[in-house]
Amino acid sequence: MDTSMLFILLQAPLYLGTLRLMVPITLPAIGEIITERSGVVNIGLEGIIMLGALASVYVGYFTGSLLLALLAGILAGVCVGILHGIISVYLGGDQIIVGVGVNVFAYGLGVITLYLSWGTFANSPLIPDSARVPDLHGISPFVVLTFMSGVTAWYLLERTSIGLRLKAVGENPKAADAAGINVFRTRFVATVIGAVFAALGGTFLGLDWLASYTRDISAGRGFIALAMVVFSKWNPILAILSGLLFGFFFALSLTIPSGIIPDQLVWSLPYAATLLVAAGFFTKTRAPAAIGKPYRRE
Amino acid sequence: MSEPIIRMEGIKKIYPDGTVALRGVTFEVLPGEIHGLLGENGAGKTTLMSILYGIVPLTSGRIFIKGRQVRVTSPNDAMRLGIGMVHQHFMLVPVFTALDNIILGAEPRKKGFLIDRKEAERRVMELMERVALKVDLDAPVETLPVGVRQRIEILKMLYREADILILDEPTAVLTPIEVEELFSFLRRIREEGKTVIFITHKLKEVKAITDRVTVLRKGLVVGVRRTRDVSMEELATMMIGRKLTGVEKSEEVSPREDYLRIKDLWVRNDRGGYAVKGVSFSVRSGEIFGIAGVEGNGQSELVEAICGLRPPEKGDVYIRSKRVIGLNPMELYALGLGHIPEDRHKWGIILEFSLKENAILGVHRSKRFVSRYGMLDEPRIREWTESIIKNFTVEAPGSDFPAKSLSGGNQQKLIVGRELSKEPSVVIASQPTRGLDVAATEYIRKILIRMRNKGKAVLLVSADLDEVLSLSDRVAVMYEGEFMGLVHPSEINRERIGLMMGGLRLEAIS
Repeated sequence: MDTSMLFILLQAPLYLGTLRLMVPITLPAIGEIITERSGVVNIGLEGIIMLGALASVYVGYFTGSLLLALLAGILAGVCVGILHGIISVYLGGDQIIVGVGVNVFAYGLGVITLYLSWGTFANSPLIPDSARVPDLHGISPFVVLTFMSGVTAWYLLERTSIGLRLKAVGENPKAADAAGINVFRTRFVATVIGAVFAALGGTFLGLDWLASYTRDISAGRGFIALAMVVFSKWNPILAILSGLLFGFFFALSLTIPSGIIPDQLVWSLPYAATLLVAAGFFTKTRAPAAIGKPYRRE
Repeated sequence: MSEPIIRMEGIKKIYPDGTVALRGVTFEVLPGEIHGLLGENGAGKTTLMSILYGIVPLTSGRIFIKGRQVRVTSPNDAMRLGIGMVHQHFMLVPVFTALDNIILGAEPRKKGFLIDRKEAERRVMELMERVALKVDLDAPVETLPVGVRQRIEILKMLYREADILILDEPTAVLTPIEVEELFSFLRRIREEGKTVIFITHKLKEVKAITDRVTVLRKGLVVGVRRTRDVSMEELATMMIGRKLTGVEKSEEVSPREDYLRIKDLWVRNDRGGYAVKGVSFSVRSGEIFGIAGVEGNGQSELVEAICGLRPPEKGDVYIRSKRVIGLNPMELYALGLGHIPEDRHKWGIILEFSLKENAILGVHRSKRFVSRYGMLDEPRIREWTESIIKNFTVEAPGSDFPAKSLSGGNQQKLIVGRELSKEPSVVIASQPTRGLDVAATEYIRKILIRMRNKGKAVLLVSADLDEVLSLSDRVAVMYEGEFMGLVHPSEINRERIGLMMGGLRLEAIS
């Protein structure tokens, strides 16, 4: 058994799988970092991943157009982002409840769509090849997008005036307001951007990884992404690294052949890893000071 | 006389909940003057200035800046007009560096959105040189003392080229020496032609720094005077609408027994460092022991440790010779502790609860209020609450109303009433008159002296030096978690205390 484990760890597919499987958790995590640095929490990532996947698979299946499918996925993110932004930023609603609502709604919409469109409760048929994301030199363009997004987000946060203002809004919205920064607009835009990133994670699952929609397509990735945000201390570069770590566990759980260890244990690897990380690292980090608190001018 | 640089005309402000803050105020400031805006808490000073700064929308009225009528709907508008405001609660981002805080919202850029920090640093250095105000630009603001934070706020406004500077109660957080530094700085920028509006409720400061003063009372202008033509007494009468009686100095009560004894107490702050570093003292029955010092020098942590709200690292606390370390607040109350907390909304009162519920907080398990079968005894609680309302002159619509329906002063009276009705032998009063109007302040001070005269041990912690000096029998000055010295207020002058508040030990200055 030792030799076979070692054999698995030396296989190239494990590492190629890691690169792919980091995408649907890292893109949402990067988006959520932007959102949370502005002081808004979106725990609806799980639902947005589902909606992004659902919208892109639906459009991809019926039109066969990759471009339209991608746009549909992004549009799903924009819509949820606007909804979340209006309720939690402009109306000062409870961000946790909005997020839970998104998660529940997305799951339900997924099941209904599966049944009405394809007569099943489990998974859609494969989308036509024309709607699938082609690999470039053996690597998914989504992998490249993920790395670029992380670096760009870091640069934006640490080196630009937009980033400074965004962080000020998340740390002390009153101070930002007094400095002439529009707190509401900043948070709203950050929320929409975060939602689009989460939807892109789902789009990857639907148009690349599975080429179809399944009922449990996000499989807790939205929540793992939320944990990654804390684990990476709200730093997009560290989010890439933690994405590689969790992606590795996802890939490992798919690479270990049946029969060595019970399958259920193997499949739970990424989730167990999340729990361990959560227990070990969460006490030492410091969140943006105004996170989760709606801003009101008196 | 020159044209006013600011003219606010017939300003009215009614808040959505119906509170009338300003009832038609006309306010003028001349260019190049330091103009005092004097009034009690709730007189409308801050509201008026927040309107000028675009944070609070006005209900009606007109604003003219430099002769032109303007609409100010956001701080951005105000800054474009050259108005900068230093708020009472600083508008800084604690995790940002001083530099980032100063340039926030007006960052020098290169290539579009990139911040040009070199250029920013150069500009800020130049500014600091010009106005002779220095801060360490690379330090995160949260690591800097409040006096320095205030300088950062001022620099932030000057960096944005404000030529009208509004300062809201700027001396509240400063030591007497820092106050002097601030004043000479303000005189310097006046020479440069800047205009300063100085909001305060302290008469001495008005006399010390301003050229002219506008007095507000209950949302109306009571008068505008040239400072040198008006006496402190006259200003006081204008401000509160009657003559100030002051607190009578208490007669001597010979102290007897150590009711509260602290031995080598070490307490950590929330960030893990030591806020209290080996403090020892005792408070005797029949005395008021005052702790003076600029806020944030460990006073809060000391009080929390004594009151069972924060476990000390080491050291001992004794109440009437009984060691009380590790006991919870309720056990401490049972042993005779009364606590008037510094932040009444955080520790003292639950705003949504009724006066009755608030009146028994902490004694709600006492047999007095619990009837058979473990139910709260409604008639007795009502009786208790009404006696507090009567004895401590709480102005309340009724004991069933929520605490938030009371004014700040009456909330504080309710807390004081509750704590003192427990018949404590040790009373801890932390910033007991903060944010109260003059009448309520006077009342609370009288009550503390009455407690002392009744033979209780009173520990008074206050950032208001006058308060500590006028009430206490002995005073300790706290600086960075240590006592700089222990003095009798009658035997020491304010300047010495000021030096101790700035970190000099008594031995070093006597």
